[in-house]
Amino acid sequence: MDGSPASSASPSPGPAGAVRPFSVVRDRVPADIAARVAARFGPSGGVGDAVDGRAAAAVLLAQADRDILRGAFGLNRFLTVELTEREEGTGTIEADWLGAPPVERGFYLSLTTGTAYGLQCAVLVCDELTRRGVLTPERRGNIELCLHEAIANAIVHGNLGIPSATKEQPEGYRLFSRLLRERLGDGAVRQRRIDIFARWTADSLSIAVVDQGNGFDAAALPQDTDSGAHSGRGFVFMRALARRIHVTDGGRCTLLQFDL
Amino acid sequence: MNFQVRRSSETIEVLLSGRLEFTDHDSLPDIVELLNGERTRRFVLDMDGLTFIDSAGIGMLLILQDEAEQRNIKLVLRKLQGDVLRSIDLARIGEVVTIER
Repeated sequence: MDGSPASSASPSPGPAGAVRPFSVVRDRVPADIAARVAARFGPSGGVGDAVDGRAAAAVLLAQADRDILRGAFGLNRFLTVELTEREEGTGTIEADWLGAPPVERGFYLSLTTGTAYGLQCAVLVCDELTRRGVLTPERRGNIELCLHEAIANAIVHGNLGIPSATKEQPEGYRLFSRLLRERLGDGAVRQRRIDIFARWTADSLSIAVVDQGNGFDAAALPQDTDSGAHSGRGFVFMRALARRIHVTDGGRCTLLQFDL
Repeated sequence: MNFQVRRSSETIEVLLSGRLEFTDHDSLPDIVELLNGERTRRFVLDMDGLTFIDSAGIGMLLILQDEAEQRNIKLVLRKLQGDVLRSIDLARIGEVVTIER
């Protein structure tokens, strides 16, 4: 296992929280991280596809913005990982982010909640899928909506821990806004990760969205939502537009599958 | 999401633009406040400039519907198109909100 940076010429990290360009390219994914991803996504999720167990990672530093993320995608690495403000830009890979061995066609993006909120991650991921020739304009709209809903759930209900029912009470929208601001202001909560793992074949696309929240009971989700309800339609959209939706990890992982 | 407001005698027209999504909850109280005009009887949300709406955005429309109803104001959604129309149709909120096609 080797978590050291590929180049000793990488710049040293700046002040915590500063926006800096991605600057560290790692050339190996630790075996324990690869095993965790394999356990989560199954043996076909990557280990068998690994090339000598090595995977290059484009590593973002804390508080990446859209341009930095697009630039990192442009390196065509399998892993794109945002380091938290507490991590050294050139240190060993910490165990609090998931990595994955390379698959022939796929990529893995890991961002902190603070960065993912407001970044329109679904747009960026779909832009990248389009750039890599996976999405056509005809397919994109429905896939982007499903991915957006999964990411929004992971951020709001998962990592920020705000119950969907909050908005159903009188003036619940005001409480919802207040809870959003409070949770996003909590440094520890902002550091929780949103991981997005996209893989595809010639005729299908799978995207997993993983959070670090408390999870939920997927079996308790209603099949439909009252037409006047203020919440609960995200899964209605995903069920209607994806070929298959599967919730695992006690509600922390939503796997979306689409025909291409 | 951004919005502009036009007022006439008994109608308030709100022109929405951009994306209406889960990060826009802070804008909702400002739009609800527009319902408090004394003479307002009709509240139109013009969605011509809206490019995307998610399930949370749909929820905000339904909150506005409830708030309008409490004030005896008629809420109308107008100029839905593209991805916005798809989401509105999927959510079937036409059963509770007036939609001008």
